[in-house]
Amino acid sequence: MTALGRETLVSGSQAPWRRWARRHGWTIGVWVLLLALIAYYATLIPRFGAFQVASIVNNGSPLVFLAVAQAIIVIAGGIDLGVGGMLVLTSVTAARLMEGQPLVVGLVVAVAIIFAAGAINAGVGWIINVSKVPDIVITLGSLYFFQGLALAILPNPAGGANEWFRWLFTGSKTGIGSNPWPAIVMITITVTAIGWWLGKTRQGLSLYAVGSNKTAAYLSGLNAARVKVLSYAIGGGFAAMAGLANTAIAGRGNANTVGGNLTLNSVAAIVLGGVALTGGIGSVIAVVPAGLILFFLSPILTAMGVDPNSAQVVQGVLIVLVMMVTGIIEWRRRLRS
Amino acid sequence: MDNRGKFITRWLVILAVLALIAAACGGDDDESTETTAGDDDGGTTETTAAPADETFVLGVSNTLVGNAWREQMICAIKAEARARGNVSEVVLQNRNTDVAGQIADIQTLISQGVDAIIINPADRSALDDVIAEADAQGIPVISVDAPVTAPQAYFVSNNQVEYGEVGARWLFEALGGEGKVAYMRGLDGHPADTDRDTGWDAALADYPGIEVVYENWTGWDPSQGAQQALEILTSMEVDGIWTSGIDYSVVEQFEVAGVDYVPVVGADNNAFIEQLMTVEDLSGAGVSNPPSIGGVGAAVALDILEGKDVAKETLLTPVVLDTMEELEAVFVPDLTAGWSSYMVIEPYVSYTSPQDVIDCKGPGE
Repeated sequence: MTALGRETLVSGSQAPWRRWARRHGWTIGVWVLLLALIAYYATLIPRFGAFQVASIVNNGSPLVFLAVAQAIIVIAGGIDLGVGGMLVLTSVTAARLMEGQPLVVGLVVAVAIIFAAGAINAGVGWIINVSKVPDIVITLGSLYFFQGLALAILPNPAGGANEWFRWLFTGSKTGIGSNPWPAIVMITITVTAIGWWLGKTRQGLSLYAVGSNKTAAYLSGLNAARVKVLSYAIGGGFAAMAGLANTAIAGRGNANTVGGNLTLNSVAAIVLGGVALTGGIGSVIAVVPAGLILFFLSPILTAMGVDPNSAQVVQGVLIVLVMMVTGIIEWRRRLRS
Repeated sequence: MDNRGKFITRWLVILAVLALIAAACGGDDDESTETTAGDDDGGTTETTAAPADETFVLGVSNTLVGNAWREQMICAIKAEARARGNVSEVVLQNRNTDVAGQIADIQTLISQGVDAIIINPADRSALDDVIAEADAQGIPVISVDAPVTAPQAYFVSNNQVEYGEVGARWLFEALGGEGKVAYMRGLDGHPADTDRDTGWDAALADYPGIEVVYENWTGWDPSQGAQQALEILTSMEVDGIWTSGIDYSVVEQFEVAGVDYVPVVGADNNAFIEQLMTVEDLSGAGVSNPPSIGGVGAAVALDILEGKDVAKETLLTPVVLDTMEELEAVFVPDLTAGWSSYMVIEPYVSYTSPQDVIDCKGPGE
C-alpha cells in the first residue's frame, strides 16, 4: 500500500497517523470523492442496491485496468497512447479464441493473451529506447497498429466467451447481475500486487527513480532502458486485463471500439488519480477510484437529467483543474525548499 | 503551520473537484426521478387536458451522437412522450460508445428506475442478456431502427431489407441493368446495415450486368461520406452511386470533383430531397427511412405500459421518392441539414405536426 504519493518527502515530527494521512492525502481524497459521488447518486435514483453497485464496478473495470496500465508507464517516465488499441486488440482476440470453448481453455487463452500483450508492448518500449523517438509518437503509431490489427482479426463484431469466464469479471454468467464481488476481488488482487511491487521492491522502486530523474537514476547504476521496457510490458499486461474484462462484459469482440477514446480516458483517470504526467510520482491505489469516477460520470449526469455527452466537458475541465492544482502544489513546495 | 496549510489545501482541492462536478451539471437536483404511480413530479406540462392516473418515465439508449438521423429520432421520442401527456420524464443515455458501453448504459437506465427502455441497438445479439435482465425487472425494451435477437424485445423499424432492395433495384433499372456502381454502406456491424446488405444482394442477383467497383462504410458520417465520394469521383469511373443515407454530402462532391452527375440513391434526407428537386442533371431517388420511427417506438412503449395489446413487431415499408410530385409533397423548407422530411408517421404517433419534432422538447422541458 505504500506507493509513493505526492508527499513522500515530507518530514517532520508529527503524529504517525497525520504523517500517514499526509503521505496518502491524494489517494484518500480520491476514494472519498468516489464514495461521496456514489452516496449522491444513491439519493438521485429510486433504488440503490447490489445491482447498481455491480453495474458500476463491472462496467467501470475495463477503464480501471487501463488506467493502472497507463499509471505504471507514466510513473516510469513514459506515456502510452497505445493502451486503448491494446484493449481492443486483446478483447477481439479473446472473443475470437474463446468462443465455444470450456473455461479451462478460456483461462489458458486469457493468460496467454496477457503475456503476449506484455511482450508486444515490451517491444514498443524497446523501439522507443532504440529509436530515441518520443514515447508519444511511437505509441500513437502502436495505437493505430493495434486497432488495425484488431479489425483484421475480427472485421465484424463476433466471437464469444465462456460463461464462467464472464462470471470471473462480472459476477454473472450473462455479464449482468447483482454480484460485484468477482470484479472487486479481481481489481483488488491485481492492483494490490502491483502496488506492493511498485512501492516495496527494488525493481518496482526503480520505475519511480527512472521516472523522476532519468539521468540521476542512470548515474546511480540503474538501467533506464530496461526499466522502460519493463514498465511497457506490465502496462501491456494490464491493458490486456482491460480487454478481457471488456470481452466478459460484452460477451463478444468489437473491433470498432475506438481505442483512442479509451486511451484518453486512461490518461484522464491517472491525472485525477494524482499521477504526475512528468513521471516519478503517483500511486496505482489512487488510480482505481479515479477510473471508477470517470466511468461513473455518465450515469450520474443522466440521473441529474444532464446529457451524458457533457460528461466529456466535465472530464476535460476536471483534467485541466487537477493539472492546475497539482502545478500550484508543486510550485509552492519548490518555493519552500 | 505550513504543513498544516498544505494538508488543508489538499482537502480543499478535493472539495473543489466535487463542487465542480456538481456545478457543471446545472444542479437541478429537485428533478430527481422518484416517480411513483400518480406522482406528477415538478414540471407539469401544459400539453393535454386530463392528466392520466399514472405517469411513466421513458429511458432511451443511443450510441451514435452528432448524427442528424439519431438526433431526429430522439426528438421524435420526446415529441411523442410530450404529446401523450402521461410521461413525466425522458431519461437519455446518449453518447458515442460501443456494445459494452451500451450494455452499461442500459444497466444505468434500469438502475434509475425507468418504466420502459427504447434503444437503437449497437449489435444484434450482444444486448440479449441485458434486455433479459430489464425484462426480468419488469421493464419492456423496444428496439428501434434495427432488430435484436432477444425474444423479450419489441421491434419497431423501417424495413431495412426492403430499404436496401428497392433503392438498389431503382438504381440498377436507371442504369438499364448495365454499369459500374459504388456501394456506400452505413455502419459496419450495425444490424440495419447488415439487413440493407441482404436486400442489396437480393437485388444485385437479378442484375448480372451490374459491377460493384467500390464498397466501403461511411459510418453514417456525412463528412466521411463526402470524403469517400470525392475519392470515388476523382479516381474511378462509376455510373451510379448507392448510399446508405449519406446522400446530400455525396451529391455535393460532384461539383467539387468537377464531374458529370450520375444517378444517386439516398434516403429521405430533406437536403437530398431538395437537391433532387433543384439540381439540374441530377437524377436519383430517396428511399424513405424516417428517423421519426423513434416516435413510433415511444408510442409502442407507452401502449405497452398502458396495458394495451401490442404486436411484437412494427415494420414500416419504405417508399421510393423520385417524381417531382412525391418530392414536393414531403419537402420541408428551412429544415436542419441532415434531417429527414417525413415526420408525422400515421397512424402510429400522437403528435400532429412536424414542428413538434423540430422543437425537440420532451415533457416538462
